[in-house]
Amino acid sequence: MPESTALLEVRDVVAGYGRGPAILNGAGITVEEGRTHCIIGPNGAGKSTLLKVVSGLLPARAGEVVFDGESIAGLRPDEILRRGICFVPQERALFPDMSVRENLRMGGYIITDRADLDRRLDEVLEAFPVLRERGGQRAKSLSGGEQQMLTMGRTLVLRPRIVMLDEPSLGLAPRIVSQVFDIIRLLKDKGITVIIVEQNAVVGLSNADLGCVLDLGRTMFEGPADGILEDPRIRELYLGKRAGAA
Amino acid sequence: MTDRQNIDTVLAERDAYNAALAGTRRRGGSWPALLVILAALALFPLVQLTGGNWNYPLHLMLYAFMYVAMTSGWNILGGFAGYISIGHNVFFCIGGYVSGMLLASYGISSFLTAPLAGVVAMAVGFCVGFITLRVRGPAFIISSIALLMVARILFDNWDFVGGSNGISLPRMELPVQYVKIPYYYAMLVIAVASLVASYAIRHSKFGLGLRAISQDEIKAESAGIDTRFYKILAFAISAFFVGTAGAIWGEYMTYIRPNIFLIILVAANMVLMCILGGKGTVAGPVVGTVLLIAFNEFFVSQFGASQINILGTGIIMILALMFFPNGIVGTLRRRGRLPRILDWD
Amino acid sequence: MTDILQILLIGAVLGGVYALMASGLTLIFGVMKIINLAHPVFIIIGAYISYWLFTLVGLDPILSMPIAMIALFCLGIVVYKLIFEREASSAKYSEMTVLLTFAVALSFDGLLGVLFGNIQRITSPSYAVEAVMLGDLFLPKGQFYAGLISIALIGALVAFLKFTRFGYAIRATTQNREAAQLLGVNVGLVSTITFGIGIGLAGASGALISFIFSFFPARHWEWIALLMSLIVLGGMGRLMGAVVGAFLLAIVSAFVGSYFGSTWSMMTFYLALFLILLVRPQGLFGEKME
Repeated sequence: MPESTALLEVRDVVAGYGRGPAILNGAGITVEEGRTHCIIGPNGAGKSTLLKVVSGLLPARAGEVVFDGESIAGLRPDEILRRGICFVPQERALFPDMSVRENLRMGGYIITDRADLDRRLDEVLEAFPVLRERGGQRAKSLSGGEQQMLTMGRTLVLRPRIVMLDEPSLGLAPRIVSQVFDIIRLLKDKGITVIIVEQNAVVGLSNADLGCVLDLGRTMFEGPADGILEDPRIRELYLGKRAGAA
Repeated sequence: MTDRQNIDTVLAERDAYNAALAGTRRRGGSWPALLVILAALALFPLVQLTGGNWNYPLHLMLYAFMYVAMTSGWNILGGFAGYISIGHNVFFCIGGYVSGMLLASYGISSFLTAPLAGVVAMAVGFCVGFITLRVRGPAFIISSIALLMVARILFDNWDFVGGSNGISLPRMELPVQYVKIPYYYAMLVIAVASLVASYAIRHSKFGLGLRAISQDEIKAESAGIDTRFYKILAFAISAFFVGTAGAIWGEYMTYIRPNIFLIILVAANMVLMCILGGKGTVAGPVVGTVLLIAFNEFFVSQFGASQINILGTGIIMILALMFFPNGIVGTLRRRGRLPRILDWD
Repeated sequence: MTDILQILLIGAVLGGVYALMASGLTLIFGVMKIINLAHPVFIIIGAYISYWLFTLVGLDPILSMPIAMIALFCLGIVVYKLIFEREASSAKYSEMTVLLTFAVALSFDGLLGVLFGNIQRITSPSYAVEAVMLGDLFLPKGQFYAGLISIALIGALVAFLKFTRFGYAIRATTQNREAAQLLGVNVGLVSTITFGIGIGLAGASGALISFIFSFFPARHWEWIALLMSLIVLGGMGRLMGAVVGAFLLAIVSAFVGSYFGSTWSMMTFYLALFLILLVRPQGLFGEKME
C-alpha cells in the first residue's frame, strides 16, 4: 500500500498504564480516508489501549502516530480533537445527568463561537430527529439504542475526520446493534473515516472495509475485512469459538 | 504475518518471568536476633537497681509498646484489609473504661481485666463493623470519624462514668522506682502478642484473604472468599489489641476521661505510625512507632507546645504520604534493601 | 403549633448555612472524587479572617465575606497544586487523598492552634445579638442573615454551573471525567479551579458562621462528620442532594435539640450518617457509590 493514501499511520507503538507493563508492544494500524476499519483480537490484546494512544489519553512510550502527514504523538487530547479525531469510549460515554441538548452542547465544547455551535447542533438534530424529541430529557433516561445515537450525534457536532468507536455494540440487544451499525454507515456516507474496536469480530468485520488483528499488544495482520473473515488461520485463532458463540 | 510462533515465545517469556519471581523468595527472618532484642527489653527494667532514676525512659518505652500494639492492631484492618479507620481510638477508650470501671467499682486490677476489656472492645468492633463495613473506601473512613464523634458525645454525657470529668482510679502502692515496671511488662506483653498475631495472620489463609480484599474486593469475593466475614473478623481482632492497650493505659494514667482517649491525635498517631513504617507489613508498625515517638519527643523538648506537635504530625504525614506511600519497610523491600531483621512478612 | 413553626424556622435557616458549608465539599468530591476532610478547617480559617478583620479594623463579617472567599480560593489552589495534583495518577488515588486531606486538616489545626490558641471566639457585630419577629415567630438576626446569604450564594453557584461554559465543563467532568476530557475539556484546569471554588465557598461560609457559632481550631472535627452526613444523605457529589440533605437534617436536629437538649442535636447528624450507610449507602439521590 503506498503511504500517501494513509490518513492516519500508527507504527510500532509501545504503551502501558502508569509504571505497569507494556500493554502495546509494537502495535500499529494504517487508516485510509473514508473507509471503515475494524480492530479485532482477544481480550487484553490492547485494542482499546491503541485507541487511547491515538486520542492522546495515554502517552505512548515509543512509536509514531502520524495524522495527515503530521506527527500527533504527545499532543494533549483536546489538541488531537481539534485536528478532527474523535474517540468514543466504551459504554457510558455520556453525561448521565445532563439533558440530551446539554450533552450535544458538550460535544462542541471546544467551539467558542456560540452561533456556529447552534448551527452545528441544528444540523445534528436534523440527522437524528429522535434526539430533538428528547431534547430536555436526561441522558440516563434514554434507551440503550438512543444513548448510542446521542453519543454518535455528539461526535458529529465537531464534524470530525476520524471517529474511533470502542465496542459500540457492547451490552446492546442484537436489534439495537444493527441500528448502531446503521448509524456507523451513516457516518461513512458523510465521508467520515471510522475505526471500530469490536469484541464480536464477525459482526465488526462484516460491517467494515478493512480489518486489523491485534494480539499480545502487537499487530498480527492487516488487510481487507473480507479477506480476514475468510482466512482459515485467522478464523481458527481469533474467530473460531467466539464466532460460533455469537 | 506472524502467528503461533509469537504466542509460544510469549509463553516462554512468561514462564521465565514466573521462575525468576519464585527465585527471589527469601528464607525466613532472623529469629535469634529478635529473641536477643526481646530479652534485652525484658531485662531493661533492671536498670532501676543501678540507683539512677530511669522512670522517664521506662515511661517512653511502655508508651512505645502501647503504640506498637495499637498500630499493629490497626494494621490488621487498615493495612492488610485496606480499610482505613480514623476512629480506632474508640476501642482504646472502651478498653480503658471497661477496666477502669471494674477497678474503680470492685478494685479488680486492670492487669487481670485487660483481656476482658479487649474482648468487650472486640465485641463492640464486631457490631460496629457489621454496620460500617457495608461500605468501602472513602465512605468507610467517614463512618469511622462519625463513630469517634458519637463515642465522644456518649462518653462526655454518660454520668455513670463521670461524664467529661471522668473518674479517677486508685494508684498502685509501690516505691517510686518500681512504679512503672508492672505497666512496662504489661504493655510489652500486649505489644509482642499483637506482633505475633499480626505475623500469624499475615502468613495464614485468613491474611491472604484480607490482602485479596484490599487489592480488589469484588474479585476476592468471586474467588470464594467470604469477604464480609473476613472484614468483620479483622475489625474485631484489631479492636481487641487497641482495647487491651487502653485498659492498661487507663490504670497507668490513674484516671479515665474522654479527652485522654477520644482525641484525634491518638487516632492520627495510629494511622501515621503505620504509614510511616509501612502499611500492610508486620514490621512497619514497630518502625513507624519508634520513629514517630522519637520525633515527638524531639519536638516537645524543642518547642514545648502540643499545638506545634499537631502541626508537625500533620506535615510529616503529608510528606510521608506524598513521598513514601509504602512506608520505610515497604520502600526498602521494593528496593531490595530491607535488612533481614525487619523482614517479617 | 407556634413552637413547631419556630423550630422549623430555626432549622431551615441553619439548613441554609449548612448547605453552603457542604456545597464546596460536594463540588470537590464530584469533580475530583476527593473526600476533603480538611474542608471544615478551611471554614474555620475563613471564620478567623472575618474575626480578625472585625476585631482589628471593625469590618462587618458580611462585608469581609468576599475577602475570606478570595483568600481561601487562592489558598485552595495553592494546596491543590502543592499536594493533590501529583496524586491524580496514583493507583490508590481515593484512599491516598482522604489520608492526605486528613493530614492537611491536622496541619492547619495545629497551625491555627499555634497562631491563635485554643480559645473560643465569635465575631459580634450588632445584629448577632438582635432578633427579628415574624408574627409570633422569633428569629436571631445573625442566623437570618447568614441563612439568606448562604442561599443566595448557592443560587449563584447553581446558575454558574448551569449556564456558563466553565460550569458545563465542571458538571461534565463530575459526571464522566474521561468523556469530558475526550471532548476537549482540560480536566486538570477544571480540577484546580473547582478545588479553589470549593475552598472559596468554605471561606465564605466561614465568614458567615463566625457570628453564629463560636469556633476554635479543633472545632472542625465536629463539623466534618456533620458535613459528611449531609452530603452522604444527598448522594455524594450531588450539589442539590447536599442542599436537600442540609435542610432535612438541620430541621430534624433542631427538633431533637429542642426536645432532648442541644448536646443531642449534634448526635442527629452522626446517627443519621450511620443510618444512611446502613440503609441506603448511596444516599437519597445517588447511584451506588464505589
